[in-house]
Amino acid sequence: MAEQKVSARYASSLLDFAIQKNQLDTVSNDIEFVSSVLKQNPNLNRMLESPVIKPELKSSILEEIFKNKINYDTMEFLLFVVKKKREEILFSILEKFKELRDIKLGFVNVNVSVASEFSDSQKSELKNRLESMLGKKVRMSYSLNDKLIGGFIAQAGDTVYNASIKHQLDLLKKHFVEASPITN
Amino acid sequence: MAEVRPDEISAILRKQLTGFESETDIYDVGTVLQVGDGIARVYGLSQVMASELVEFPNDVFGMVLNLEEDSVGCVLFGESSLVKEGDIVKRTKRVASLPVGDEMLGRVITPLGLPIDGKGSINTKEFLPIERKALGVIQRQPVKEPIQTGITAIDAMIPIGRGQRELIIGDRQTGKTAVAIDTIINQKYTHTEEAKSLGIKPVYCVYVAIGQKSSTIAQVVAKLHENDAMNFTTVISASASEPAPLQFIAPYSGATLGEYFRDNGKHSLVIYDDLSKQAASYRELSLLLRRPPGREAYPGDVFYLHSRLLERASKLSNELGGGSLTALPIIETQQGDVSAYIPTNVISITDGQIYLESNLFNAGVRPAINVGISVSRVGGNAQIKAMKKVAGSLRTDLAQYRELEAFAKFGSDLDKSTLRTLAKGSRLVELLKQGQYAPVSIERQVVSIFLGTNGYLDSIAVPDVKRFEKEVLKFFEIKHNDILETIKKEKDLSPETIEKIKKAAEEFLPTFKKNV
Repeated sequence: MAEQKVSARYASSLLDFAIQKNQLDTVSNDIEFVSSVLKQNPNLNRMLESPVIKPELKSSILEEIFKNKINYDTMEFLLFVVKKKREEILFSILEKFKELRDIKLGFVNVNVSVASEFSDSQKSELKNRLESMLGKKVRMSYSLNDKLIGGFIAQAGDTVYNASIKHQLDLLKKHFVEASPITN
Repeated sequence: MAEVRPDEISAILRKQLTGFESETDIYDVGTVLQVGDGIARVYGLSQVMASELVEFPNDVFGMVLNLEEDSVGCVLFGESSLVKEGDIVKRTKRVASLPVGDEMLGRVITPLGLPIDGKGSINTKEFLPIERKALGVIQRQPVKEPIQTGITAIDAMIPIGRGQRELIIGDRQTGKTAVAIDTIINQKYTHTEEAKSLGIKPVYCVYVAIGQKSSTIAQVVAKLHENDAMNFTTVISASASEPAPLQFIAPYSGATLGEYFRDNGKHSLVIYDDLSKQAASYRELSLLLRRPPGREAYPGDVFYLHSRLLERASKLSNELGGGSLTALPIIETQQGDVSAYIPTNVISITDGQIYLESNLFNAGVRPAINVGISVSRVGGNAQIKAMKKVAGSLRTDLAQYRELEAFAKFGSDLDKSTLRTLAKGSRLVELLKQGQYAPVSIERQVVSIFLGTNGYLDSIAVPDVKRFEKEVLKFFEIKHNDILETIKKEKDLSPETIEKIKKAAEEFLPTFKKNV
């Protein structure tokens, strides 16, 4: 819980800083890059979380990995986080940054689970519908889930648009149970 | 054997299926971060309302109590072992509410309105939120009609009016529930044709059992059935085995059901048995939700917990139909300590209190009401005139008796007038004793108190007083029923009626002595 608050604080200052310096695109690309590296290398994360490894060592490791691959300001930010002894929540800071950036730019991430692969025209139609419904730009990510039987489930933020056959069967089952005379 | 044709079955299935819509279902969700002790912390649910019902997997429902910056605190109404970290929580978009309607009468339900008496589902049409704001000043009017408890001591000296809140307070095993159940049983009369002709409106009862043993609740229900009182009563049961959140909302459910009757111009009586247990379950919830503890570890808003509940008792103005909701909260004290936190709170909220004492109970004074410190702050306006006339002297006689009783214990020589007061007092105390499940109608109460305060008992030995009362009332019923009828109809004691009672009593007295 406290972690959430702290990472929001760091992320929003980085965002403000990037906007102020007119570097939002570069910084956000860097952040995407760093977070994907962290995601792909669990050992790196483990190293950051470890209280045994000295902060100086952590800084030098981070510097060695990312120097020249990312912008100077982003690098400074990573080192600053380590200096402030918040490196263990670095990943959640990066995630929070992406979230706040999306809110700022009016983007919304929509996760869609589909029963069978959508065609491109279906995808663009769904995207257009969602964009007009939400009034925001939509970034889609698809995943396959054959338990749905048919249809799709789209989740934008906390709101779920459930158009799967499985859900409808569940509702139908409930409908039948509730209609029966004795329920207790 | 009768045959069932397959096409018939498919026709029925088709009928059930029509009206089933298959559109995209849109709902809001969150994820469980942490669960345990009947509390779940949920991430997400960004649009959720306070006290909204949320749905967990496995048909477990919860209610949102804490809205925090980055999470939502919910209490669970079901098994918390069925909910796991990472589970999806769905909003229902309705605040916790109770199905209400006349169909609820005669049933035993949970605080969420599900039947638990095995009599099938309840087909109500309306839902009302469990937490409702109490009515304002404009919508109310002063309490003016009496609610008869059938217990002579209460109806005479601590009268309760429709729309009043009267606390029943006492240690364990002093007969608190008995007073409440007797009151419910006595409402049977208000549902008769006779009461209707006399302009007495029926009273619908709700008995809310909080944190009691299921066996005790079953006993109460059986007693109500036995006395034909279940037809106009709903029992809301949140027994000791239910999770704390259910025990916490049970009284509010009871109030909601009572308000349904009130708002339809009817009269209702809601008994909260007992609020100390509800306060304890609220304390449990609050501590688990990490709200700061205060005195006796209760949270800061425990006063508001009870005040907002009892404030819902009311007598509506005539424009709104003149319905009423009378509340009889019960509080259990420890070792007679009424200065503990919860008892003082509830005493200050209610319009009076009935004290039950264990030493009186053990001395055989049952109902064990301490009439000296029991009060009713508004019910006096509601008392019928006949009762007002006879009860005034009863109160003073008993007060004098209690004052002198202490003296008498020294065993010193007492003058004649003191002895007379003592003799009268002990007979009156005897007269106010009453069996359980045996409510007495108002006109009989008036007659027996009249006889007691006017010296007709002085010649009767104390152990014979109860027998005398029984026989004299029987005598009135058989030979002078007109007197009882007049009191019932006129609701007053005219000089002629007083003369008639006196004459009848003098007629009876010699016959009684012969029997001794």
